[in-house]
Amino acid sequence: MDVTVIAETSGDGLHPVTAQLVGAAASIGGTPTVLCAGGTGAAEAASISGVVKVISVVGDCFETFDSGAWAKALNSVTGGDVIIAAASPSGREIAATMAAIRGIPIVQDATDLTPGISVTRPIYSGKAIETSTVTTPCAITLRANAFDSAGEGGSAEVSTVNQSADVAVAVKEAIAKASERLDVAEADIIISGGRGMGDPVNFSHLNEIADMIGAAVGASRAAVDTWEEIPHGMQVGQTGKTVTPSLYIAVGISGAIQHLAGMRTSKYIVAINKDPDAPIFGVADYGIVATWEAALPALKEELGKL
Amino acid sequence: MGIAVLLKQVPDTTAKISVSEGRVDESTVSKWSMSPYDEYALESALQLKESGGGDLVAITCGPARVVKMLTDAAAVGADSLLHILVEDLSALDSTQVQTILAAAVAHSGSDIVFCGKQAADTNAGSTGPGVAHLIDASCVTMVSEVTPDGSSLMAMRSSPNGNERVAVSAPCVFAFDKGITELRRPNVRGIMMAKKKVAETLGPADLGVDISTSSVSIDGHTPPPQKPPGQKFEGADSVAAVVGKLRDEANVI
Amino acid sequence: MAYEALDFYDIDSLLTDEERMVRDMVRDWVDEKILPNIEKACHDGVFPDEWRVDLGEMGILGAPLEGYGCPGLSYIAYGLICQELERGDSGVRSFASVQGSLAMYPIWDFGSEEQKNHYLPKMTTGEWIGCFGLTEPDYGSNPGDMITRAEDKGDHYLLNGAKMWITNGTIADLAVVWAKLDGVIRGFIVEKGDPGFTAPEMTGKHSLKASVTSELVFQDCKIPKDRILPHVKGLKGPFSCLNNARYGISWGAVGAAQSCFSSAREYALSRIQFDHPIASFQLVQNKLAWMLREITKAQLLAYHLGKKKDEGTWIPEHISLAKMNNVDIALEIARMARDIHGANGILDEYPVMRHMANLESVKTYEGTHDIHNLILGRHITGIQAFTRES
Repeated sequence: MDVTVIAETSGDGLHPVTAQLVGAAASIGGTPTVLCAGGTGAAEAASISGVVKVISVVGDCFETFDSGAWAKALNSVTGGDVIIAAASPSGREIAATMAAIRGIPIVQDATDLTPGISVTRPIYSGKAIETSTVTTPCAITLRANAFDSAGEGGSAEVSTVNQSADVAVAVKEAIAKASERLDVAEADIIISGGRGMGDPVNFSHLNEIADMIGAAVGASRAAVDTWEEIPHGMQVGQTGKTVTPSLYIAVGISGAIQHLAGMRTSKYIVAINKDPDAPIFGVADYGIVATWEAALPALKEELGKL
Repeated sequence: MGIAVLLKQVPDTTAKISVSEGRVDESTVSKWSMSPYDEYALESALQLKESGGGDLVAITCGPARVVKMLTDAAAVGADSLLHILVEDLSALDSTQVQTILAAAVAHSGSDIVFCGKQAADTNAGSTGPGVAHLIDASCVTMVSEVTPDGSSLMAMRSSPNGNERVAVSAPCVFAFDKGITELRRPNVRGIMMAKKKVAETLGPADLGVDISTSSVSIDGHTPPPQKPPGQKFEGADSVAAVVGKLRDEANVI
Repeated sequence: MAYEALDFYDIDSLLTDEERMVRDMVRDWVDEKILPNIEKACHDGVFPDEWRVDLGEMGILGAPLEGYGCPGLSYIAYGLICQELERGDSGVRSFASVQGSLAMYPIWDFGSEEQKNHYLPKMTTGEWIGCFGLTEPDYGSNPGDMITRAEDKGDHYLLNGAKMWITNGTIADLAVVWAKLDGVIRGFIVEKGDPGFTAPEMTGKHSLKASVTSELVFQDCKIPKDRILPHVKGLKGPFSCLNNARYGISWGAVGAAQSCFSSAREYALSRIQFDHPIASFQLVQNKLAWMLREITKAQLLAYHLGKKKDEGTWIPEHISLAKMNNVDIALEIARMARDIHGANGILDEYPVMRHMANLESVKTYEGTHDIHNLILGRHITGIQAFTRES
């Protein structure tokens, strides 16, 4: 079974998830050919164990992101029984367009694959898991970090193909990412501080961590009521915002019932508190009994390693 | 200029999802809503219609319950409503859904299509790019704003490095991320008007689309795995272990 | 979590699409605008002007009135609007009740064509706020003996007297004032700025804190002759208005009760004592079951009364029963919900104590609980018991 893996890139290089795509391809008995759009990451892809071929597809169209043009160019290089891409915004889009061009189905955001091909994916934002069987040929995108990476040490042949397509999207202006902080109601990760932070100035540590992981900074009502520097808009809880992020990190928050009411349905909760009996530990998936002064520098360091 | 907006009715994001006998039990869904990104697509489509004229048709696919959502779209300003009756949308594969929607867009005579970047039930994101190909349109995704610019259209989209303002010409598809403007609220006048806008209901066959064989078959649904009971660690030295678990066990960072 | 209104007998299925859409529109607005801001509004003792603008933009003021730019909705829809507004706060529902049923309605029913064209379009959009002056410092349940007088001075009327407990008074652009002209109760439209008219705000309330309550004072207040409502004389005028407002209150009380029930249920499920959620204890379940039972009955009363309003087969006594019963059970539910919340129930984190304090007013205004009993007593026996005279 020929599997076409669309390399996922990050800046000028290969994104590590690409090795997971290759690993998943092998797990369903596929022989993976990796396509590198615009040639990005081709040499790195060749060193992934199990890759039989790397095709570096180069052409003018890769200057601007236009999924229609990219998919056309990539499709004309190779077919394959299965197309596998990362479930990133661009991966989903390119794979969906390639599938549409070939008239084959696509299943997005798989978290498990077994030969057959049986696809597992979360639906309803993870409130249920669906298992389905899809016939080949098909396209599948995979969620990052859900599959084991293929190892290194491969030495696949790299060929370069000149293939372009008409670009229909013209970039008129690029606007650098503004460093504005997310609102707690919208963020997928929230780090909140309570009165245990001691002083509103110390929220700067939460801000730093939030910037590292794209999180929003929240607060308990006790913090909002005590310090006027902490605005009501940050408040999570009964009279603040009700939030359901994937990850909620509570720092120096004891866990009054009113606070829990606003965040207990978060997917994962980490609590950092020096009081081992704090009620917040009752809802935490991972509790760390420590002062914030000790825990936050360590957290910064560990997140920096990711 | 004809504008179409593709909408999907999904269980409200706050609704509980329960599984019985291996399938998600839709009858227990307490509230059905328009998929959140679709709401931004609709808002932007309304703004484009107001600034440039043209008719706005709201299109959806699904069982009879979805008509209510179309009426909601009419209450905020959609001119006409097109419902493609499909009893079980989840049984269709992506090709079938896209073919139906592309045929519906063609039926409506629209050349500018708005949709959400993904629907809140499947979170797939295949529809926009797929429909774009089928109607031979260009596609821009992760869009937050669309404005007319002479004969072309200017869209703001997010990219890994920030935002980009890109120009495209009709026919085109805009798949919306969260928009930059506030969503409008309906008012009584709009609700009274919506009463008069009756949805046109067609079957896939009326559009010449055959949905007899799907290449994807659902084997079953299960509730998400139970989280392990909470774990408590002593001291700041345990932070490294917790970060590792967040990455590998919880898969949230 | 999204608010899920208690609807045990599926009243929802009896509604038209239009009614449901109006209900959902107001429900979403309350979630978005009222609930995040109501505690501050109560604390500051203000009715935020933004709410007036929004209510006008939604087009729900004077809901059941037709023509002159008014919405022309069913009485069921009007009831649902009141229910959702009062789920937020009785003060917000009071604003809408006074504007629609007490200020717009008398102009719509008893006003001249010129008056209707002049006032109603701007009142339904919320541009002009109205209030209603009937109650006086010394005449509450007994408005027939009011002191406020109007004198015909040839080219104008002269008003003297005072009204009290007037919702929206200080912020109103116009007041519909009931006063005796040659011994007969008549309605007059007094505008802000008319000479001799002032509307000082009453402060110090423990209830309806986000609602403006005022006195209306008339000291040789001079108004043009065309401000009298030409088509009604006697108590029938103000009582017609009150019928509509009381009808809305019967729905509004359901909304306040639903809010208290929802908060109590959620709290009982999450509050752990003796190692178990308090919802698992029989005494708490008994309270929740009683709340559900009374809310369900109140919903059925309100819905059926709404149907009778829409069909025109109602009598005022039907409204007395619904207003009296629904406010009574809502107040009891608020108290019980406060009890379930334990000490937390007194905090502004939860809506229950606010609803409880509000409902004490609602029980008293628009005909006290006891007066409605007397209305029913008269209906049953044919003997009025309001006064010692026969």
